[in-house]
Amino acid sequence: MKTKSRFYRFFNRSVGDSPAKRVVIHFVLIIACIISIYPALRVFSVSIRPGNRVLSTDLAIIPAGATFEAYASVVRDKDFLLWIWNSFFITITTSAIGVIIASTSAYGFSRWSFPGRNAGLIALLMTQMIPAPMLMIPLYILAYKLGLINTWRGLVIAYSVSTIPFSIWILKGYYDTIPIELEQSAMIDGASRMGAFYRIVLPLSAPSLAIAFLFNFTSAWNEFLLARIMLQKKEMLTWTLGLRQIQGQFQTQWAEFSAAAIMISVPVMILFFLSSKWLVSGLTLGSVKE
Amino acid sequence: MKKWVCVFLALAVLAGGLFAKGGVEAPKGPVKIALWTQEGESEGSFQFVKKLADAYTALYPNITFDVLNKETEALRQDFLAASLAGSAPDLVLTVNDHAGPFSVADVIQPVDSLFDLKLYLPSAAAIGSKTWGVPVSSGNHLMLLFNKDMVKTAPKDTDELISVGKTLTTGGKYAIVWNQTEPFWLVPWLGGFGGSVFDKDGVTPTLNTKAMVDTLQFLYDLKSKYAITPKEADYATMDTLFKEGKSAMLINGDWSLGDYSKALGDKLGIAPIPMVSATKKWPAPYTSGKYFMIPKSVTGDTLKAVVAFINFYTNYENQIDMAKTLSRLPALRKATADEYVKNNPVLRGSTSQLVLGTPMPAALEMRCNWDAMKPELNAVLAGTKSAADAAKAMQDAAVACLKTIQ
Amino acid sequence: MKSLTPDVMVTSLGQVGGILAVIVVAVVVLELILYFLLKKILHYRYALPFMLIAPGLVGLILLNVYPIAYELYIAFSNMNLLRFRNPSHSLAIGWENLKSVFTAPVLKQQYFFPVFLRTMLWTGIQVFFHVSLGLFLAILLNRPMKLRGLYRTLLVVPWALPQVVASLAWRGEFNFEYGFLNVMLTRIGLQAIQWKSNPFWNFTAMNITNIWLGVPFMAVILLGGLQSLSKSYYEAAEMDGARPWKQFSSITLPLIKPIMTPAIVLGVIWTFNNFNVPFFINENNLETSDILVTALFRAAFDFNRYGFSAMFAMVIFLILFGITIVYMKAVSFSPSALAGSKARETLTVGEEK
Repeated sequence: MKTKSRFYRFFNRSVGDSPAKRVVIHFVLIIACIISIYPALRVFSVSIRPGNRVLSTDLAIIPAGATFEAYASVVRDKDFLLWIWNSFFITITTSAIGVIIASTSAYGFSRWSFPGRNAGLIALLMTQMIPAPMLMIPLYILAYKLGLINTWRGLVIAYSVSTIPFSIWILKGYYDTIPIELEQSAMIDGASRMGAFYRIVLPLSAPSLAIAFLFNFTSAWNEFLLARIMLQKKEMLTWTLGLRQIQGQFQTQWAEFSAAAIMISVPVMILFFLSSKWLVSGLTLGSVKE
Repeated sequence: MKKWVCVFLALAVLAGGLFAKGGVEAPKGPVKIALWTQEGESEGSFQFVKKLADAYTALYPNITFDVLNKETEALRQDFLAASLAGSAPDLVLTVNDHAGPFSVADVIQPVDSLFDLKLYLPSAAAIGSKTWGVPVSSGNHLMLLFNKDMVKTAPKDTDELISVGKTLTTGGKYAIVWNQTEPFWLVPWLGGFGGSVFDKDGVTPTLNTKAMVDTLQFLYDLKSKYAITPKEADYATMDTLFKEGKSAMLINGDWSLGDYSKALGDKLGIAPIPMVSATKKWPAPYTSGKYFMIPKSVTGDTLKAVVAFINFYTNYENQIDMAKTLSRLPALRKATADEYVKNNPVLRGSTSQLVLGTPMPAALEMRCNWDAMKPELNAVLAGTKSAADAAKAMQDAAVACLKTIQ
Repeated sequence: MKSLTPDVMVTSLGQVGGILAVIVVAVVVLELILYFLLKKILHYRYALPFMLIAPGLVGLILLNVYPIAYELYIAFSNMNLLRFRNPSHSLAIGWENLKSVFTAPVLKQQYFFPVFLRTMLWTGIQVFFHVSLGLFLAILLNRPMKLRGLYRTLLVVPWALPQVVASLAWRGEFNFEYGFLNVMLTRIGLQAIQWKSNPFWNFTAMNITNIWLGVPFMAVILLGGLQSLSKSYYEAAEMDGARPWKQFSSITLPLIKPIMTPAIVLGVIWTFNNFNVPFFINENNLETSDILVTALFRAAFDFNRYGFSAMFAMVIFLILFGITIVYMKAVSFSPSALAGSKARETLTVGEEK
């Protein structure tokens, strides 16, 4: 058997990598990982630093006299749990609704070449191009006229809808890679069109559905502008608004702020790690599966 | 003792009520007041607002409050958007320069006819002939703070500041720090050099003056020629440096007094910003405070409730309470003569600076000045522009900005 | 905590349950109407796909059409603080606004074209680094190795972290005295950099932050693409004696193009309109660090030039749209024909004939 070229080995399965090369690769990846997580670690170290100081020339991740007091204080003295609860149930609800609506819409785009299809896809793309701050005032007026201010209704509708374009793109990309023959054979066996969808396509698209859910979750969880418009009551704040309360005009309780920041990052990170095995396969905007 | 306190309290409340203009009584029917305030939790002030709102509800159970904190810029933008949509709140407690945009956009009402403004110190939310906000506290002014462990007394003038400063700047420590990024920290010095951002009419910018050039040059020299202050320092940096004992002196405002009192205890010294030796003038920081502004849409019973609440909030007893809790100077004239205000060292130091200050302009045109000064100030301090060029650029920018708001 | 009582939880769940019920009913009603209209009455061939996309479409129209129409209306007015409640509207004013976008400073001193060029530069730099670094990492990870799961998990952190937290973290790192970068620079004897006040370094800071934020997304997509490449291509190429670089350029690149292209398109759009990073890293509000969307924000909310900024927004939108269309044509990317979809032309499955 011909010896594989170095290049081939480098860009493909690492058959016969020399130990030296493996070490180099690991080294590079480790450096990349450190760069990835270092800023987050710094925020963490601010949260456990005593004395409300955001800055320090001490680069240690665990500062002297570290304490978790800030975490306790955020939960105890501020409405932190309320904010998390609000954010959480809104996010879960809207992510689910968004995925459900997008999954059927994407199927329509994927399997039929109906008139207006291309235009529709481009229009979906165009919704991503609108500069968000511009919509603030009209959305405020619209929300007020529809009586949606200070209700959860308005936010649920707004979030669900705003995640649809991107979800459709992801799901459509994934559906495109599922051979149509599968549905054809199911229909020959007597299943209806939509039956084939539910029983064959959807289960196969589980990775992509999970990723669409993840994206919806992330964008709703971190959303700020719409929440600021719709929610004008202290009991109805999501964490993005709540965090602002910890920031004063000049003074900020940095330790509490960082502690809250770390805590609100946790749900999203957990979701990411849980779905990490699907991240790679589900995020196909197109693929070369033959 | 308790009995006398109760009597005094009752008399104070009564007096406060009697002093209200026109003797406006709280309405009888149920009223819900949505109050937006820029007062934050981290300065302890939001809790204070909430406390007084709750106390008022305890007195008049038919009047309830929904108190919401919004960050300053968010408050301004959201209040304008809400007014346009027709869903403005019922009361706003905020900084004086919001009066400019709000009055021009015709979304708040003047308060001259609703309150007896002579009871208060002059309101910095007065523009032209109308007053748009009822003052709640006086101050929001910058002053010189120093660490008594590092420097025993504050320098009296800038020459002394520089000479003492040189001895203090050693071993990674600095003599003085301030927020180099915000023009708010520039204007006191401008006053010290005899300049002002507006002409006498209060709307024409006068930024390209010798005083401005001297001010910019002075600030640049402090860090480059005399090197007694760091090359770059924003709010967080100056705050940290001072708290860590890495800087002997600091220029910061009355909102930070509570925090520094906690951090430094009686090592904290307060003094006016040193006199400018070249002109023998005291720097004049901008003074304002916090103001209640009433949206235009508020009428009838809600308006009565709002007026009554404002009178309650600014009565003698609550003003002293505010002075004690937040280390802020009262706005009610009678309260400024109180024993506590006169004798408390922090408040006394704050007052000594306040009397040298000048009211912050609230006119809409002031926005143009702030926006014109900021990038030029940064350019001069970064060493990328000369003071003369920057002053001219500031004036051009302010004039151009004024055109766009017409 | 004090406010989170079971009471509150029940109320909020109740409200949400209410709106869910409303949505379900509305969708059912919509579908029934469409069903009868399209299928039974018109016997429309494409009844089913339209029924499928209808709910999403209706929602998007509701959320987007009114605001865009409103902004268009405002773009033809002279609305600012002086004329807040009663601005005048006319074509002439709209035309004036349009002219001002290009001829008058959009910020206090910066004109349109420098800001536009800077936005293009920003987008170009970002996409270039996202793709190249992302591809580099994807290639490294595309092999069985120990700790691969760990690496993938850690490398995704910048993406998983909420932008608020990331902006806060990076803003701190660019601090002159205390930021990690300057501390390291001074420790190795170099001069500390004025990240906040120097225009060049501030722009660099923006770019560094966004590269950190954006590479994981691209790496994940490209890794997916790489993993779906069949080994047989490379084996065939090996046997034909193709040299390493030729293999990369002739096999790898073309085959992952269908995946890279949509990712690049999205990357261009998101970077062009990226508000958070330039806004927050630019703590001193240097006009030299503003891109089009941040300039738009300042015009609208700092200076209250509502009419002008609405027209400005339209201009930005059209430019971005134009760029996207041009790019897609240049790489012959068609949204309906993603890779491997030669079979797509024979979509119909029997009953729709």
